[in-house]
Amino acid sequence: MSETSKLLEKWLKAEEFIIVGKSIDRVDAIDKVTGKAKFMEDYTIPGMLYAKIVMSNEAHAKIRMINLEHALKIPGVVRIITAKDIPGENQAGYALPDQPLLAEGKVRYHGEPIAIIVAENPEAAVIAASELNIEYDPLPTLLDPLESMNRRDILIHEETGSNIAFTTKVRRGDVSKGFQKSDVIVENEYKTQHQEHLYLETEGALAIPEIGGTYTVMSCAQYPHLAQAITARILGLPTNKIRIIQPYIGGGFGGKDDTGPLVAAQAALASHLTGKPVLLIYSREESFRIHCKREQSIIRYKSGATANGILTAIDVKIIMDAGAYANRGPFILWRATMHASGPYYVENAKVDGYCVYTNKVYQGSFRGFGNPDIQFAVESQMDEIAKELGLDPLDVRLKNILKPGMTTMTGQLLDESVGVGKALMMLAEKADWRKKRKMYENEKGRYRKGIGLACGWHGISTSRGVPDWSNAIVKVSKDGGVEVYTGITEIGQGTPTTAHVQIVSEILGIPLEYITIHFGTTDAPDTGATHASRGASIGAIGVLIAAAKVRERLATLASEILQCNPEELKFENGKIYSKNDPEKSLKWKDLVNEAFNRGVELSSTGYFYLPKGKFDHEIGQGYAYPAYSYIINIAEVEVDMETGIVKVTRMWPAIASGRIINPKAVEGQIEGAIAQGIGLALMEKVEFDNKGAIINPNLTDYIVPTAMDMPKVEKPIFVEDLFRYGPFGAKGVGEMALIPTPAAIANAVAHAIGKRIFELPLTPEKVYFKIMEGRICQK
Amino acid sequence: MKIIRFQLNGKWVEVEIEENMTLLDLLRRKLHITSVKRGCERGECGVCTVLLDDKPVYSCLTPALKAEGRSVITVEYLSKNGKLHPIQEAFIKSGAVQCGFCTPAFILTTYALLKENKNPSEEDIKRFFDGIICRCTGYVKIIEAVKIASELCNQS
Ligand code: FES
Ligand code: FES
Repeated sequence: MSETSKLLEKWLKAEEFIIVGKSIDRVDAIDKVTGKAKFMEDYTIPGMLYAKIVMSNEAHAKIRMINLEHALKIPGVVRIITAKDIPGENQAGYALPDQPLLAEGKVRYHGEPIAIIVAENPEAAVIAASELNIEYDPLPTLLDPLESMNRRDILIHEETGSNIAFTTKVRRGDVSKGFQKSDVIVENEYKTQHQEHLYLETEGALAIPEIGGTYTVMSCAQYPHLAQAITARILGLPTNKIRIIQPYIGGGFGGKDDTGPLVAAQAALASHLTGKPVLLIYSREESFRIHCKREQSIIRYKSGATANGILTAIDVKIIMDAGAYANRGPFILWRATMHASGPYYVENAKVDGYCVYTNKVYQGSFRGFGNPDIQFAVESQMDEIAKELGLDPLDVRLKNILKPGMTTMTGQLLDESVGVGKALMMLAEKADWRKKRKMYENEKGRYRKGIGLACGWHGISTSRGVPDWSNAIVKVSKDGGVEVYTGITEIGQGTPTTAHVQIVSEILGIPLEYITIHFGTTDAPDTGATHASRGASIGAIGVLIAAAKVRERLATLASEILQCNPEELKFENGKIYSKNDPEKSLKWKDLVNEAFNRGVELSSTGYFYLPKGKFDHEIGQGYAYPAYSYIINIAEVEVDMETGIVKVTRMWPAIASGRIINPKAVEGQIEGAIAQGIGLALMEKVEFDNKGAIINPNLTDYIVPTAMDMPKVEKPIFVEDLFRYGPFGAKGVGEMALIPTPAAIANAVAHAIGKRIFELPLTPEKVYFKIMEGRICQK
Repeated sequence: MKIIRFQLNGKWVEVEIEENMTLLDLLRRKLHITSVKRGCERGECGVCTVLLDDKPVYSCLTPALKAEGRSVITVEYLSKNGKLHPIQEAFIKSGAVQCGFCTPAFILTTYALLKENKNPSEEDIKRFFDGIICRCTGYVKIIEAVKIASELCNQS
């Protein structure tokens, strides 16, 4: 066993904790309540220029001509940048190399960036952007993925020969035999919609030319090393010339993971070409039009079950609208595909996924990453099976739920860390599920209650065998101060300002004030992205290992000084002492000082490469994820039968995601995710006109939940099903509670009104017409 | 150009402004009070909230001229000599702060609410907050923070 694995295991087995598991206040809260916290737009640099993006007014067109002359004459305009000015490679695609930073020759969605105006003041940039003369030759547009996937005469990316960007598949057992064995078959089509991240701070970047031909880019990306790589590629420079740092970021939710690097590259390009610092901030409308959205999905789902509710087969087809560029679409589709069974055992499975180009803003990362869509289908199906068989939906789930020792739909053995069954039982009891379910059945009158249940699961780390790793640097100064460098970002979730400081404080036994975390920077070794709920799990392994290595060295030194066995040493409260003889003790600061005098190195990296298996795409079987986090939500709703308005009145969450390092922070993640899930379930939808332009790119027409829309959220149940590679056994929590929220609400609404709606969001109109369906004919 | 005089966080200031300037631009661009955030500039998100004569207003929709002779309060006003205001304490303790972009607006709004109503019910709080969006917290802990703040304020 390697040194790092030994250290991970040692801390996984720890039984007593000083600070892990405690709800400490996040260390950045003080900056944020006093107004001292600085966000992108709060930085000004003398001589700084302002950039603005010029967007396409067409969804699919050839760019015939861009005439700069007129716009360049506007006072204050310094430079107008188009694709041909890019010194490096005009390529910003993520999963596939299909996306330019600035459109070249052709535009593929309404809102696509075409040019960057650089001016001495923001006003001049705005005027110039509206005056820039671009002439197009429109092409036929494809907005419907079902049409687009069958067309060969209109191609969004000519070179591909098809509008299908990517496909996925899973095959297990024999589905037709499975359906033959079933007593009931349920088959439905589900639809989900584009959702906007609506982080309250729009995207931005500040690029500053530095000595030696380098650039410092202050970026809102969720993966500094990706922002660095894309910026370097655009500028035609090696990555070592680009340094990424981050200010506080006003929310990310995945959107800035995809868009942040592009904005960094746009600002850096402007800085490179003008030799000046450049600030680029997207306006709200630009943010809406330019950046990726949660994908729209169409899911055809067929399930078979025996009379007592055991699943025998599933046959699933997932079609995702990729929009104009693949971006992370293939990975989003992968995730949806891998999770298509839900956290249930099924012997026969066939899943096919299609990621299809259309002329709409492209899809991208958004909390849940394809999983809320598929779990909406899975969990609606579970309820429909229960209804057909006259069973309690809870029982149907309990009969099929994954347990340790079982295999997933892709044939992967789950040998540990499967706490979902226990969490489900505990939650049903806490919510008094059986009683409420029965009671609400007989609701009469205008306002009717319903209660719904949905489970979700979410693979930790990236899908299939895609390499994943962690790293960090810990360094101790002579006075005992500790600095940590990590690429994990703070985007509101607070990973570096809660979990990371707690891990270091726990391992080194020092107060929080001794520790500073430098997060979101390429000054740290590549730590991977702050996405896939990995910041406090995979992303924090590096922090744990680096700190643990330093501790081992200090323990050896202390044992020499104190004449005792290093194993009997405790590190606590800035002191190191022998638990057998507490008299034998040293102050942290003195021990550190001794280390400097005696030649003991007190800086360390914490590299860890996550062991994984392989997925075989040919046979549609194999290794999907190192472990899963599990979540269950129970939702209670009240439906106004006369208006169709749904009010979510109460939510009960339970989570099985390994060690909980900071319960308060995790509660915050759960509550925030539930709010976004309520938005997805009931009201949020990006709407397009027949030319592919977004018609609601503002907060008047795009509605998100306010305080008034929030139900009472009960304290979550935590089942700590430890994961062997997680820091102290932690899995991930950031995305979890969003995943089953739309399904739980849809199930509750179906319970209340006695009929199911298969398409999100459940707007009052849709609910009202569903209630009225059939009634009108009876009259 | 026009000169206006107003009280900013308790101190009289005099500044020259363009007549069509918003209070948001005056505060952010001229006076460098960056705790006042810009989220939409259309009166839709509420993160630009400041208190004008103790009442919450969207600074992005308020002409700077309107501040003439009046009091403008931003979150900087609340902590005195490094000591946090009980509302700020309550926001930290209850975990009401995530990304923090909306936090100054919520804290100021809480300040205005508690001036009006010392013991607001959950409904009162939700109603008072209807004009500000938080995309991170789901409001649960913000509401909790207001309740704690009201207790702390009533004690002191
Ligand atoms: S900036 Fe959004 S309301 Fe003022
Ligand atoms: S804490 Fe991020 S918007 Fe409220």
